[in-house]
Amino acid sequence: MLSRSALSLALTASLTLSAAGATAADLVIAGRDGIYGQALEATVARYKDTHPDMDIELLKLPYGSLYEKLVISLREKSGAYDLVLLDDTWATEFMGNGWLANLEEQGKITGDFIGATLDISRYPVAQGPAYSLPIVGNVAMFAYNQALFDQYGLSKPANWDAVKVAAKTISAKNPDTSGVVFRGQKGNPIVTGFLPLFWAHGGVIVDDSGQPQVNSTQGVQALESFLELKQYAPKGIEVYNSTEVRDAIQQRKAAIAIEVWPSWAPSMDDPSQSKVVQEMQVMAAPGQVNGSSPMLGVWQMGVTADAKHDKAARDFLDYLTSAENQKTLALELGLPPTRRSVYTDKDVVAKYRWYPNQLEALEHGKARPRIKQWNEVESILGDYLQLAMIGQMDARTALDQANRKIDRALKR
Amino acid sequence: MLFRSRLQLLLLMSPATLLLAMLTLYPISQILINAFSYVDYVGAERQFVGLDNFVELSEDWFFAGAIKNSLSFSVLASLLQVGLGLALAVLFDRQFAGRRFALPVIIYPMMLSTLVCSAIWRAWYHYDFGFLNNALLSLGLEPVQWLFDPDMALFSVMLVDIWQWTPMAFLIILAGLQSIPADIKDAALTDGARGWRRFRHITLPLIMPQVLLALLLRSIDTFKLFDKVYALTGGGPGNSTETLSLFIYKQGFKFFNLGLASAAALLMLTIACALSAVYAWRYVGAKS
Repeated sequence: MLSRSALSLALTASLTLSAAGATAADLVIAGRDGIYGQALEATVARYKDTHPDMDIELLKLPYGSLYEKLVISLREKSGAYDLVLLDDTWATEFMGNGWLANLEEQGKITGDFIGATLDISRYPVAQGPAYSLPIVGNVAMFAYNQALFDQYGLSKPANWDAVKVAAKTISAKNPDTSGVVFRGQKGNPIVTGFLPLFWAHGGVIVDDSGQPQVNSTQGVQALESFLELKQYAPKGIEVYNSTEVRDAIQQRKAAIAIEVWPSWAPSMDDPSQSKVVQEMQVMAAPGQVNGSSPMLGVWQMGVTADAKHDKAARDFLDYLTSAENQKTLALELGLPPTRRSVYTDKDVVAKYRWYPNQLEALEHGKARPRIKQWNEVESILGDYLQLAMIGQMDARTALDQANRKIDRALKR
Repeated sequence: MLFRSRLQLLLLMSPATLLLAMLTLYPISQILINAFSYVDYVGAERQFVGLDNFVELSEDWFFAGAIKNSLSFSVLASLLQVGLGLALAVLFDRQFAGRRFALPVIIYPMMLSTLVCSAIWRAWYHYDFGFLNNALLSLGLEPVQWLFDPDMALFSVMLVDIWQWTPMAFLIILAGLQSIPADIKDAALTDGARGWRRFRHITLPLIMPQVLLALLLRSIDTFKLFDKVYALTGGGPGNSTETLSLFIYKQGFKFFNLGLASAAALLMLTIACALSAVYAWRYVGAKS
C-alpha cells in the first residue's frame, strides 16, 4: 500500500516537473556564438535586473546553423523564435518573404542610427519601413603597419595601385614580413576580401536590371590586381581565414591587411597578444576608379512575424540598441556600435583610437547586393575567385564562368 | 520452430518493417520526385522540369570534380585503411611485450570526435607554425603545403581519415584472425606452411570475409565524406577537396536548391549502391 502511494506521488511529481520544464520562455532569442553571443548574454543579464521575473531563452548558434534554423523555422511559421539576429545579406530574403514584423507598425524608430546601417534594415532598401534594427556596426576596414611604412619611406596608400607598390616594396626589402595579407579561403572569406577592391575598380555584381556583371572590364582589372597582391602575401593564403590574418598582422608577419573587421582591431593593441602595439593604422579601404568602398557587414535583429511575444521582443530590442547599452558593449567587449553618438563618446574613443575612421567608413559603407540569392551568388563568386587564385584559371575565364553560373542562379 | 505460422511471423515483423519503410522509403521517394522538379522551398511549390536538374549537373564543372574527388578518396582511403588494418591485425594477433598498452593507443583516434580530429590536424598542418612542418624543418627538409596545394590537399584530408579510421578495419580483421581455429594453424604448421606461405594460402582466405566487410564499411563511409573536408578545407583550394556530400549540402541547405540537391543525391545513391553491390557480391562469394 505504502509502495503504491509512493509510486503515485513520484509519478505526480515527475509529471508536474515535466510540465513546468515544458513551459515556454517569455522571450526566445536566436543569436550567434562568439562575441555576438557574449554581447547578447551580457545584455540579457542587465535587462533582467529590471525584469527579474522574465524568463529569457538565448540560443547561441554558429553562423551556418543560425541561417538554416531560421529559414526552416520561419518558413514553417513555427513561432519558435521571437527575436532573431541576422546577417544583412539575409535581410532581403527574410523581409521579402514576410518573415519579419514591420517595426514601425509596432512603434517609432528613435535614435541616431548611422544612415547606411539603418537603410539596410528597411525594405525596400533605404525607402520602406524598418523590419530590423542594426545591432553590430561591422564594416570592413583596411590596416597597415605605420612603423614599417615609415621604415621604407612609404606614405599612407591613397589608392590600390599604391597598396600594390607598398606590398611589393616591403616584401622585397623585408624577408620576414609579407607585404599584404587577406582571407583567401573559398566562399564568404575570399569574397569579402575582394569586394572593396572590386567596387573601388568600378565592378558591379548585379546591375540595376538584375543582370550579373562580375565579368566586366572593371571586374577583370580588379581580379588582376587581387592576383598581383597574392604575390606579396604569405604562403598558404588560399586557406587563410580570420585567425590566420590576425596572427599574421599581430606577429608582424604581414604589413598590410586589406580586410580588418572592428572586432579584430582591439587585439592589435593588446601587448599580451600582439607585437605591433600602436603600430597599425586602421582606416577605410582606399579607392581607385571609384572612391573608398568599405563593405558593410552589419548584423541586425528583427522581431519575427510569427513571434509569440512580440511586445517583449520589441522592448528588449529597444534596450539592446540603446546608446547606453551600445556604449557598455563597446567598452566591455569591443562590439562595434551602430549609433553615431557612441562613436564620438570620449570614453569610447579613448579606448579605440580608430573609431573616428570607423564612423567615416560606416557612413560611406557599401552593402552587398540586395538579392534573395546572395548566399549562392557569393559562393559561386568565391569558388571562381579561388580557382583564379590557385592558378587553375586566368582572371577573365574565372569571371566569365562565374557570371554564367550566377546568371543561372538568379533565373532559378 | 520459433513461430507457429507464417501469418504470426508477418504480424510480428510488420511494425518494424513499416517503421523502416517510412523512415527510408519516404525520404527516398521525396528525393526521386524533387530530382525531376524545380522546388520553391519558401513558397512550398514544385514544378516538374524533367531532366533539367541532371542536365545542369552534367554541365557543372564543380559537380564533376566532386564525383572524381569522392570516388578517388573512397577507393584510395578504404584500400589503405584496410591494408594498414590488416598489417596491424597480423602484428597484434601474436603476443609481444607492451601489447596490452599498445592496443588502446591504436584504437584511440577512432574514439575522438571528427571535428576534434580535424582541429588537431589543422593545427599540425599549419604551414608556418604546424608540428609537421616544424618536424620536417628540424630534419633539414622543405616544409609541405599540406592544405593549400591543390594536388596535395585531398591526400592531406585522406591522411586524417586513415589516422582516425584504420583502427576500425584493424579491429574487424583482428576479430577474424582470432576466430581461426587453432587446429587449422597447427595442421598448416605440421604440413610445413610457415611465414608468408601460411599467411597467403591459409590465413588470408579464412579472413577474407572480414577483410571485405571492412572494405565495404570503409568504402561507404569514405564515399560519404563530409565533416573532415568541411572542417579542414571547406572543399578548397579551388575544388580540389570538394566531395559529393559537400556539394549536396551546399545546394540543399545553404542555397535551398532542393531539386538540384535531390538530383545530385540520387546520383550519389546510385554510385554508392553500385560500389556496395560489388563488395557485397564478393563478400557472399568469400563466405561461401
